[in-house]
Amino acid sequence: MIVFENVTKVYPGGNTALKDLSLHIRKGEFVFVLGHSGAGKSTFLKLILREEKATSGRVLVGGKDLTRLKEREVPYLRRNMGVVFQDFRLIPTMTAYENVAFAMRVTNIPERKIRTRVPYVLKLVGLGEKMDCLPEHMSGGEQQRVALARALVHSPQLIIADEPTGNIDPELSLEMMELLSAINSVGITVVVVTHEHELARRFHKRVITIDHGHLVRDSEPGKNGWGVHSDEAGDEADAPLGEVRL
Amino acid sequence: MNWSSFKYLAHQGLHSLRANRLMTVASIGVLTACLILTGIAGLFGANINSLVAYLGDQNETVVYLETDLTEEQIAQVDTAIRSMTGIASVTYMSKDAVLETYKGYMGDSASLWDGFEGSENPFMANYRVVLEDLSDLDAKVAELEAIPGVAQVNPPTELAGVFLGIQKAVNIAAWSLVVVLVVVSVVVISNTIRLTVFSRRKEINIMKYVGATNGFIRMPFFVEGMTSGFISGCIASAAVLGGYALVLYFSARKLSGLWATVIGASLLPMGQVWYWVVGGFILFGVLIGSLGTAISVRKHLKV
Repeated sequence: MIVFENVTKVYPGGNTALKDLSLHIRKGEFVFVLGHSGAGKSTFLKLILREEKATSGRVLVGGKDLTRLKEREVPYLRRNMGVVFQDFRLIPTMTAYENVAFAMRVTNIPERKIRTRVPYVLKLVGLGEKMDCLPEHMSGGEQQRVALARALVHSPQLIIADEPTGNIDPELSLEMMELLSAINSVGITVVVVTHEHELARRFHKRVITIDHGHLVRDSEPGKNGWGVHSDEAGDEADAPLGEVRL
Repeated sequence: MNWSSFKYLAHQGLHSLRANRLMTVASIGVLTACLILTGIAGLFGANINSLVAYLGDQNETVVYLETDLTEEQIAQVDTAIRSMTGIASVTYMSKDAVLETYKGYMGDSASLWDGFEGSENPFMANYRVVLEDLSDLDAKVAELEAIPGVAQVNPPTELAGVFLGIQKAVNIAAWSLVVVLVVVSVVVISNTIRLTVFSRRKEINIMKYVGATNGFIRMPFFVEGMTSGFISGCIASAAVLGGYALVLYFSARKLSGLWATVIGASLLPMGQVWYWVVGGFILFGVLIGSLGTAISVRKHLKV
C-alpha cells in the first residue's frame, strides 16, 4: 500500500527532514509511526499525501509513484485516502452532517448519494444522533469521530491518523483507537502517526519509529513481543487503492 | 462538473457573501468607490472633450472672394468649396450680408454704415467654412487658396492650436486618471478578496485534503467575487448616472446666457452615455472581482 524507497527530503533552507528512509506498509496493515517532535513524522505524512515531494528516492501509494504524479492528479489520489488530524479540522459553521457531506460534495458526488451515505457513516462512528450538531456543541471525542466519518465517507483503502488522540482525554483515546482497529479489521490499511509510545505499546501493532529523519526501528508484535519487522511486502505493497468497501 | 455540484458551488459562493457580511460590504464599498471615481473621471473627460470639440466647431475659416467675380464665377467657387472633403458646413456671405452683420454689431449706431451700401460697400463677399477636424487646417487652407476666384483665406490658426492643445491635455489627464483608478481598484480589490480568502484558508485546506480540485475550490470564490463586482457595478452605475442626471437637469434649468449655450450644447446627452456607464461598470466590476479572486486564491491552493 505504501512504499518508501531511499527517500530523502530536504526543505529549502537546508533542513533535512528524512534521510534515506525505506519502508513498506502492506495492504490491510495497522501501523503506528512513532517519533518525537521534529523526528520527521509530519514530513512522512506530507509525502504520503503528496503535500511535499521527495528530494530523492521514490514514494509509492497504492502503486502510484508520487514523485512522478502530476499536480492535477493529486486530488484524485487524496480521494482514495482518509485523513484524521489532531486538530480535527472541521468547519465550525457546518453541522456534523455538513462537514462529512462537504468531503463528498467537493468530489462531485450527486446529492442523492450524499443523503444516504453520510448518515450511514455517521451512525457507523456512533454519531447518528448528533448529525445536526455544530462542532462547538460536541466534545473533543465526538469531533474526532466526525473527522473519522469524513475520512471514511469515500470508502478509502487507507486511513491516515495524525496524532488522533492528541486532543482528547485518555478514555476517549482508547475508544478512538478501538474504532480505528474496527476499521482495520475490514481490510482498510490504517497508519497512525503519534508520539505516544504507550498508545502504540498498548495495541500490539506494527510500530515504525523515526528519529532525526532515520528509520530507527520497525517492529511487529508477535514472536518475542516486539520483534524487528521482516519485509514481506512483495507485490501486495503495490496493490491499487479501492478494493475493500466499508 | 455535474449540475448538483455546480448548484452547490454557486450556492456556496452566494452563501459566503451573506456569511462574511462585513468583508462583503467592505469589498463592494471599495469597488463601488473606485468605479464611481473612474466613472466621474471618464465622464468629465468625455464632456470636456465634447465641449472643446463644440467650441472648436464654432471657429470658422473665412474665405474671401475677389471683388470683381461674376455670378457664374462665384457659383464655380461655391461648387469647388462644397465638393471638398472634411468640411462640416459652408455659409456664403454676400457683400450685403456682411454689411448687415456689421450693422447688427453696431446696434443703435448702425446708421453710420448708411453711406456704404450698393457699389460703395467696402466688404468682400466670403464663405464661412467650418472644418470637421481642426487638425486638417493647414491642408484645407492650402486647398481653399488654390480655388480660382479666392482672394484670401483667414484660418483660425491660433484658436485651432489652443483648442487642439486643450483637447489633448484633457484627454491625457482624464485617461491617465482612469488608468490610475483602475490600477488602484485592482490592487485594493485583490487585497480585500485576499482577506476573505485568508479568513477561509482553513476551509480551503480541508477541501484540498479531501480531494477537491483547484477549479472546484476556486469556483465559490469566483461566484463571490463576480457577484460583488456585479453589485458594485450596479450601485456605481446608479450613483454616477443619478449624479449626471442632476448635472444635466441643472445645466438645463439653472444656466442662462452664454453658459447655457456653450454647456447646454456640449454636454453629452444621457441617451449617449448610460449604456457605456452601465455596461462598462458591470463588466469592469465582474472582471475585477474575478481577477482579484484568481490572484488571491492561488496562493492558498498550494497544499
